[in-house]
Amino acid sequence: MKKLFCLVLALALSLTALSALADTLVMGIDPEYPPFSYMDDSGEYTGFDVEVCKAVCDLLGYDFKIFAVDWDNKLIQLDNMECDLIWSGMTILDSMKEAGYVISAPYYDNTQVLVVKKDSGIASSADLAGKYVAVQLGTSGEALLNGDLQDLTATFGQLVTCQSFLICFTELDGGAVDAVFVDLPVARNFAAGRDDLMILDESLGAEQYGIAFRSGDAELCAKVESAVQELVANGTYAEIAAKYPDIVNNLLFLNAD
Amino acid sequence: MTLETMIIKMGEGFGKTCAIFFLTLLFSLPLGMLVALLRMSKNRAVSGITRLVISVLRGTPLMLQLLAVTYGPFYLFGLKVARNKLIPVVIAFAINYAAYFAEIYRGGIESMPVGQYEAAEVLGYSKVQTFMRIILPQVVKRILPSVTNEVVTLVKDTSMAFTVAYQEMFTIGKQIANSQSSFVPFLVAGAFYYVFNLVVDFVMGRAEKAMNYYR
Amino acid sequence: MGDLLQINHIRKSFGGLEVLTDLNLSVRKSQVLSIIGPSGSGKSTLLRCATLLEKMDGGDLIYDGLYAARDVNGRSEYAPPETIREVRNMFGLVFQNFNLFPHYSVLKNVMEAPMLVQKRAKSEVKKEALDLLEQMGLRDKADAYPCQLSGGQQQRVSIARALAMNPKILFFDEPTSALDPELTGEILKVIRGLAEKKMTMVIVTHEMAFARDVSDYVVFMDGGVIVEEGDPREVIDRPTKERTIQFLRRMREQ
Repeated sequence: MKKLFCLVLALALSLTALSALADTLVMGIDPEYPPFSYMDDSGEYTGFDVEVCKAVCDLLGYDFKIFAVDWDNKLIQLDNMECDLIWSGMTILDSMKEAGYVISAPYYDNTQVLVVKKDSGIASSADLAGKYVAVQLGTSGEALLNGDLQDLTATFGQLVTCQSFLICFTELDGGAVDAVFVDLPVARNFAAGRDDLMILDESLGAEQYGIAFRSGDAELCAKVESAVQELVANGTYAEIAAKYPDIVNNLLFLNAD
Repeated sequence: MTLETMIIKMGEGFGKTCAIFFLTLLFSLPLGMLVALLRMSKNRAVSGITRLVISVLRGTPLMLQLLAVTYGPFYLFGLKVARNKLIPVVIAFAINYAAYFAEIYRGGIESMPVGQYEAAEVLGYSKVQTFMRIILPQVVKRILPSVTNEVVTLVKDTSMAFTVAYQEMFTIGKQIANSQSSFVPFLVAGAFYYVFNLVVDFVMGRAEKAMNYYR
Repeated sequence: MGDLLQINHIRKSFGGLEVLTDLNLSVRKSQVLSIIGPSGSGKSTLLRCATLLEKMDGGDLIYDGLYAARDVNGRSEYAPPETIREVRNMFGLVFQNFNLFPHYSVLKNVMEAPMLVQKRAKSEVKKEALDLLEQMGLRDKADAYPCQLSGGQQQRVSIARALAMNPKILFFDEPTSALDPELTGEILKVIRGLAEKKMTMVIVTHEMAFARDVSDYVVFMDGGVIVEEGDPREVIDRPTKERTIQFLRRMREQ
């Protein structure tokens, strides 16, 4: 009798395992966006968003997979089912909602800052008249400069759109641009240990990060959101966040009160 | 944003795309001939080194060469990165395309029957006269289709200049696409490239026709 | 002396294989000399050495008293470029495959070398070129391109091209081999016409009738040496050497 019970249990367990296997969640990330999503020294994808998503999958019993999207075309790739969600320090834009994508509640409040060389004499955005300013294509910084901050952009000598933030900073180091307009955490990450660079105090346009789902995936969104809340409640979320001190202050769920 | 503004904005970038295209051809077509001649040199060291250089240029991505030309001098020697990106972009493109043209030229020159050289030699033509008057005109006719292929590829390759932050047409297209969350700029970019290549096809077709008077 | 072309003790090998072995040949002014022999006999190599397309290993090459190459201790030493240029100006060569310049019209094929190499005036060269084409029966083809001509017509153009340089001696390398048999007659006619005008010619051929009809001296080569030479009727109709007899029998059987 006991044996039979064990057998049935084992069968039931393996069936659950099988059904879980069928449910795979493919996370779309920008693999070059530390500390949210990036490749670590051993070649594994990691980062705050990656770890949280992994924990969510564990909780929901999904098989976890990562897909590195082309950031410029992330929404196309989402539509093409190449991934199930975009979760990678993604700024929530009104245009995404208008286009019908399901967007989660924001979890991160970001600010855009200017990184300059200390000896450049640039102290605020007012000093950027006639200067070359680099920004990464497809980032919220770029959207801001071509949108709400258009008047500021008009004073620049040239707005230099770059493929990656590494190119932005190489342009700055090499003297081809005078400032880089970038997300605060990225700026902190890059300027850390660099005596010659500084981040201007002025923050230009606050924005929030969320998770994007295909239109019609509202149910999945709700599932993921409640799983995140569970992680917040059981402390896992804070544990993960503690590994990323640069962003911990901007996480909305940890600083709710 | 209306389609019209989109086309106007991307049209501004199209000028920069054209700059890459024409300057690259201007420099790479003759440079390729020089490289082809070095490659066919009887001096083994010269031909060996040229062969190695060609294989590196053809065996590595153009994107990598763009990065190397633009940022290499800064990382290696601390030289300033150029603000006007057209210069490093054209250098990288011209060198890369010269390697491809060189191999096309070489193929064309080596396909010439030896009898043409001998006929010219017996008639007393000098080596230079033989090459310029007898060999080259026939080589041009033979290689024109392959050159056309490369030129068409060049039109599309110009979009790679974005790698080193050169703000050509496709970059602007991507910017608009992002800010508008729309595919339309990509369609516009595709139309620009397609029309450009129609013109290229037309011009090269005329050139081929002009040389059809003999076989 | 008095020979227009003199080749002494020529030796030539390709990669250790000796193709010409201590061979002598001289051509008098106004002589029409045919060289016959099986393929691989060295007759084409001899012609290519004589026309400087191939360098001899040893021996003398003398054009009208001018040394193009001189044998020094068994090795041919070639004259400096100026002399070579002068020598080249003395002969013309008609190729088996014509080797016309396909991107030039017939007239330009004939005219360019005299103008470019001999620096002669265009008007004079043009008049002469048109005369030559007239002789070749191709006056109306002056503006055509080689690809528009028959093989026989192309070969006649290439003869005109060689003659436009006013050579003292004209070489033919199997001039009818690339032609349909019915077209060989027109080339034969042209060569006969040139012989009547006392043109000095050396013709490598495997057409026995051709060699017998047109030449006044015939050389039979085999294995890199001259086996038999003399009056064409003698050599071709009444050969004395075993190898010549065998070769001619084989030719007739074909």
